[in-house]
Amino acid sequence: MGESIISINNLSKSFGDHEVLRKIDIEVKKGEVICIVGSSGSGKSTLLRCINKLERQTSGQIMFNGREIRDVQKEINHYRSKVGMVFQSFNLFNNMTVLENCMLCTRRVLHLSKNEAFDRAITHLKEVGMAPFINARPSQLSGGQKQRVAIARSLCMNPDVLLFDEPTSALDPEMVGEVLNVMKNLATTGLTMIIVTHEMAFARDVSTRTIFMDRGYVAEDAAPSELFTNPKNPRTREFLSRYLAG
Amino acid sequence: MFQIDNPSNSFEWMIFLVKKYSNMFIQGTWLTLYIAVIGTILGFVLGYVIGIIQDVKISEGDGIVKKTLIRLLKTIAAVYVEVFRDTPMIVQAMIIYYGIRQMGVNMSPVFAGIFVTLLNTGAYMAETVRAGIGSIEIGQREGAWAMGMSPMKTMFYVVLPQAFKNIVPEMANTFLTNLKMTSVLNVIAVQELFMAAKTVGGNYYKYFEAYLVIAVIYFVLCFAFNKVFNLIEKKMSGKSDYVLAVEYMDNQ
Ligand SMILES: Nc1ncnc2c1ncn2[C@@H]1O[C@H](COP(=O)(O)OP(=O)(O)O)[C@@H](O)[C@H]1O
Ligand SMILES: [Mg+2]
Repeated sequence: MGESIISINNLSKSFGDHEVLRKIDIEVKKGEVICIVGSSGSGKSTLLRCINKLERQTSGQIMFNGREIRDVQKEINHYRSKVGMVFQSFNLFNNMTVLENCMLCTRRVLHLSKNEAFDRAITHLKEVGMAPFINARPSQLSGGQKQRVAIARSLCMNPDVLLFDEPTSALDPEMVGEVLNVMKNLATTGLTMIIVTHEMAFARDVSTRTIFMDRGYVAEDAAPSELFTNPKNPRTREFLSRYLAG
Repeated sequence: MFQIDNPSNSFEWMIFLVKKYSNMFIQGTWLTLYIAVIGTILGFVLGYVIGIIQDVKISEGDGIVKKTLIRLLKTIAAVYVEVFRDTPMIVQAMIIYYGIRQMGVNMSPVFAGIFVTLLNTGAYMAETVRAGIGSIEIGQREGAWAMGMSPMKTMFYVVLPQAFKNIVPEMANTFLTNLKMTSVLNVIAVQELFMAAKTVGGNYYKYFEAYLVIAVIYFVLCFAFNKVFNLIEKKMSGKSDYVLAVEYMDNQ
């Protein structure tokens, strides 16, 4: 740990005159597992989408390994192949089987051979416990299974950083655990992860750092042991008491 | 079998005309099919190209040349689609055929017929393709983009294969429409079915019977193609179960 991998400098984002992100500064070091919490509408998704370049920031910079990612499609594609994203709605390709989902981008972006791509897909599908389902289509899987496939699909790219946007929010309660377990295991592999979540226990136990976002600001950025037991910001306190009480 | 020298009712007249002018009807059918098939297939290709161009988003980071080029292409596409959807095919046929002749280029009626059909089909297909692409939720693309797939690769591997399923019924429909719409091409002297009936009917002043003959031919063609397309659509809907890969079960 120690080496900076992504640094977000003075990042702001507006939709029209609605300011959604305000002067965000976050430094992400290699191997960190950062959980981002905050009420709905506070800009968490928009921040992740800006990091993955699915949204274009209004001002500020995103640096990856010390270089700014410019808005040139080729550069963005290359950057995205190293910074993956797992979505709340899974976004598995509906026209493909589980195996094809896991092989498409390694074949077409990384240009791996069929055999290499297959081996990688199987390796990561095993890691999430979905290898027996290689022939299934997304519509034939449960939510938890879909999300595990989506995680495996991202892992196949061997990303340096993996972003998660509320990966368990669309799941039935009994499936949340299986996905959180997969993520817990990932966290121990040294993969750098940025996770937006409402699972406070997970954030407290798994993250190396927790960020509380409030109305577009980073309101608090601290070790989970600090943030969950001794929040500095009154709004963090208020948010946590609402969550931990409910 | 039927040897009718003095036809006395409409049915006998129909048989008489078919026998006497079988060559014309066969040639007309052939030409109708030929123009419809070639014009439709080329029109589909054009429709996909235009539909995809209309879907391209201009991104802020693009260079000025690329931005201008895309904008120009999009404008041309939009004007083309609008013009061809808002004018009748029969008028398009006249304008294209005589327009190009006036420019001194000698174009055969069949070639002009295919050209008109393809341009007309392209305009309608472009709208269908655009709507088909639009019906695929944005998450499908974002899933691919987020792993570094370019917008074009995403279009070909993820979006179009899904949109295609929605577009196929409309493609079948367009072909059947074209099969019937080739009849307007008689105005530029294409010897298709309508022209055959017009000529044959005129010879004996038996228009009703002559047109009844081609009505039957159009009906049989469309009916048969419709059945074939239904079969293809059924085939495409695919199977709904999957086989567990048991070889990976024990590793769980
Ligand atoms: N594409 C968009 N256009 C306009 N407003 C948006 C868009 N995406 C998000 N917003 C707004 O930005 C704010 C933050 O949204 P979001 O980042 O999704 O919050 P969170 O993920 O924390 O719930 C919300 O008020 C939302 O309505
Ligand atoms: Mg969100």
